[in-house]
Amino acid sequence: MEVNNIFSPIDIAISGLRAQGKRIEAISSNTTNIHTTDAGKGEPYRRLEVTFKTDGDGISGVSVDKIVPDMSDFPKVLRPGHPDADENGYVAMPNVDLPTEMINLTVATRAYQANAAILKRYQQMVETTLELLR
Amino acid sequence: MSKTNSIIEYIEAGIKVESLRQKAIATNIANLETPGYRRLDVKFEELLARALDSPGRVELSEIEAGIYQPKQTPVKSNGNDVNLETEVGEMVKNTLRHKAYIRLLKKKYNQMELAINIK
Repeated sequence: MEVNNIFSPIDIAISGLRAQGKRIEAISSNTTNIHTTDAGKGEPYRRLEVTFKTDGDGISGVSVDKIVPDMSDFPKVLRPGHPDADENGYVAMPNVDLPTEMINLTVATRAYQANAAILKRYQQMVETTLELLR
Repeated sequence: MSKTNSIIEYIEAGIKVESLRQKAIATNIANLETPGYRRLDVKFEELLARALDSPGRVELSEIEAGIYQPKQTPVKSNGNDVNLETEVGEMVKNTLRHKAYIRLLKKKYNQMELAINIK
């Protein structure tokens, strides 16, 4: 995204909104799959983490860099009757931690709101300038 | 016909493009979830800048403001590449530009009125 004119703060704020939106998407995927014991590859769902990178040097927007799976261990619970249980009766559960996801959701929502606030404030600033043309 | 374009002609061309772009944004938002839809954009400023580089009078009506599909944004799983945030941002920018042109036009008319009313 080229950033060079009077509207660059708007472009930057929008890139922030999009990035945080993606993060909220990942959090919602994690939360939905909190009990998915079979994600298709013979192992439970692995939680996803979204990483960001800047669009360029200096003043620039943000974009989603990678969506990486969390490689931490799966917690095991004893549930002998479960179809995905191993020979000892233990089932590997997804490595999603609900409180963490909720906190991440709050952080992502606040970041989204902050970008929206910047967009709105900058819009008001340009309108103030335009008032001078009256 | 004068050798250069009047300010009013430029503003008129700008306002025309702004309403066309507003239509493109509205179409994009309406097709937010349409499978296979690619977002539309309006190309005008680049064409105008190129035309202004050439000497003499620029025939503004000949600069065709074209609707095109940029096909640069990432495509979602249903083949659609519209992003609501991007469209809202484009709309904010478009509205601000439109406001600036309208104010400039009003200023110009006030100036003419001033000249007419001189006794």
